[in-house]
Amino acid sequence: MRSALLLVRKDLLVLRRSPVLLGTLVAYPLVIALLVGLVAGYANAKPRVALVDEAGLPHTITLAGQSFDVDETIRQVSENVKLVRLSRDDAARELRNGEVVATITIPPDFLSDLRGMLRSPQLRVQTTTGTLGSRVNQQIQALVYSLNRQLQQAFIRTNLGYVDALKHGATITFLGRDIQVLGLDRASQLLDRLPPSQERDRVLDFVHDAKLALVQTDAAMRATANPIQLVQVSQHGRTWALSAEVQSYAIAVTIAFLTLLLAASALAAERDENVIGRLARGLVGFGQLVWAKVALAATVALALGAAIALVFGIVIQAAGIEGGEPWERLPLLFAGVALAGASLGALGALIGGLAREARSASLVALLAVLPIVFLGLVPKEVVPAAAWISEAFPFSHAARFFSSALFDADPWPSVAREALWLVGLGAGYGLLARVAARRLLA
Amino acid sequence: MVTGDTTTVLAAREVGRRFGDHVALQRTTLEVREAEVVALLGPNGAGKSTLLALLAGGLTPTWGSVEQREGVRIGWTPQRPAHYGRLSPRENLELFAELEGEPDPASAATRLLGEFELPDAPRPSARLSVGNRQRLNLAISLLGNPDVLLLDEPTAALDPPQRRKLWQSAVQHKLRGGAVVFATQNHEELEGHADRVCVLLEGVLAFDGPLEEYERTELARTLV
Repeated sequence: MRSALLLVRKDLLVLRRSPVLLGTLVAYPLVIALLVGLVAGYANAKPRVALVDEAGLPHTITLAGQSFDVDETIRQVSENVKLVRLSRDDAARELRNGEVVATITIPPDFLSDLRGMLRSPQLRVQTTTGTLGSRVNQQIQALVYSLNRQLQQAFIRTNLGYVDALKHGATITFLGRDIQVLGLDRASQLLDRLPPSQERDRVLDFVHDAKLALVQTDAAMRATANPIQLVQVSQHGRTWALSAEVQSYAIAVTIAFLTLLLAASALAAERDENVIGRLARGLVGFGQLVWAKVALAATVALALGAAIALVFGIVIQAAGIEGGEPWERLPLLFAGVALAGASLGALGALIGGLAREARSASLVALLAVLPIVFLGLVPKEVVPAAAWISEAFPFSHAARFFSSALFDADPWPSVAREALWLVGLGAGYGLLARVAARRLLA
Repeated sequence: MVTGDTTTVLAAREVGRRFGDHVALQRTTLEVREAEVVALLGPNGAGKSTLLALLAGGLTPTWGSVEQREGVRIGWTPQRPAHYGRLSPRENLELFAELEGEPDPASAATRLLGEFELPDAPRPSARLSVGNRQRLNLAISLLGNPDVLLLDEPTAALDPPQRRKLWQSAVQHKLRGGAVVFATQNHEELEGHADRVCVLLEGVLAFDGPLEEYERTELARTLV
């Protein structure tokens, strides 16, 4: 153990003497974490959807007495997609080659169906296959929902206009004809002027009841149109950039890059420096050598992970963000960072032993870490196979450990499970690395 | 545990090494005795460095085994300098002194820096001259008071005064009862230094005997 610690001290000294290498090792994963964040943000960007207008929609449509600016209406209802007008052939071609993720076709009889209201006008939607399909379908449903709501409000306004005319009297246009409506108010006034009789009183009672009933029509019509209304309440918690998920993944991505590269290149460097022979002749065993690299990875991961967590915390504290930083959870997070660093370091040492040369080891580690990180970022619900493969690498367990440690109300079950995974994977990779390290002598 | 002659401190028994398809050293048996200087002679690629690395334990044999007398300590100078380029000479010496179990690593480093006239400055070893790197390489192999010194072409990058000092150290080591095995391609280094000569040709031990006997062989004339 003493020999391993001497090598850790040596490696830290070498690292301190290599400011460019150290800066790159720290900056590079941070940049990658940022890029991953941007890519994650891009995943929420508007998908491009083709609009094929076979109906030849005019600029303005008048429905239920209300004029609709078609382009403005499309702009309003397509907040979550980018609609582009294309011909049918162009839309089909772009859908095939993936330039658009869906096509919405407005069939030729759309306008007549909409005006006639004898049957529901239809929009035809065609989406790409694959993981984006379900998301695009949701977006299209949301688009149609928004469109229906706009039309619905127009129809309600028109119908309420008719009800108002019934109550107070007016000249209304129905099916293109002007109609003079007397209205209940004026009917009541006219009835009052008639000589009293049993029949007049009965009609007056009816007019009175009808007016009372129609008073409730406005609210009733709106309520039946929207049996359940969704009210958006603004919240003042963390933004996406400062969310628990981003904080956990930022630390996990950063230390994954750092530890894998560091452990792999540090182990292979013992051969590059030609000292492996000296060490192997009884001074430092292969197990101790791997231990030294694992300890180096854990130490550096702890330093960098702690720094990132503190920066996050200070930003959140200084900005007075609701939810705040759970400072009391930081020791648990630090334990997880060291554990994850060690587990990832063992994997890095395995890569270093297999690659044998520092340059090759760095390259292989870099090539390996990208898929490991991206596998861990793919949601289980989207590609289950990716999540299963990801279980075999420490990255996803590290990210879950950090997230639970920082933000779960009761973190212990999750933290214990992920810690066991990290220990198990670290031990497994460490044993393999011990065997692979023998290749350094060859 | 070494078997055979009671003076034997280190022995290779049928030891050999293969790198992929290439056999660097055929099965070879060699005994190193106390108070003896053995010269390993042979052209490039003969297997001298491989045999020394196997004797040092810096390489695992493909066949056979290496035995050493209990308690015997070995110092090894590989042909290519083996130290950390980003550490200074002192830091290298102190690190290896600690790994070798020297009781006072700092003092051992100071002593060897003086003996080998190495700069005691916080300058990375990688920036030393070729000669100084070789001196540091030699100095590291003397840490831990070794009983057997395995030197792989030790004088290759040394200037004449340093070469003389090296041979003086080797003689003193022998007088103290230690053993020295050195690999060389230079016949002039045999005279006055080697008690015994072992010749390796294409991975095969072609001769093993006293210097006087070697000098009478046809092999000695062809290798000059």
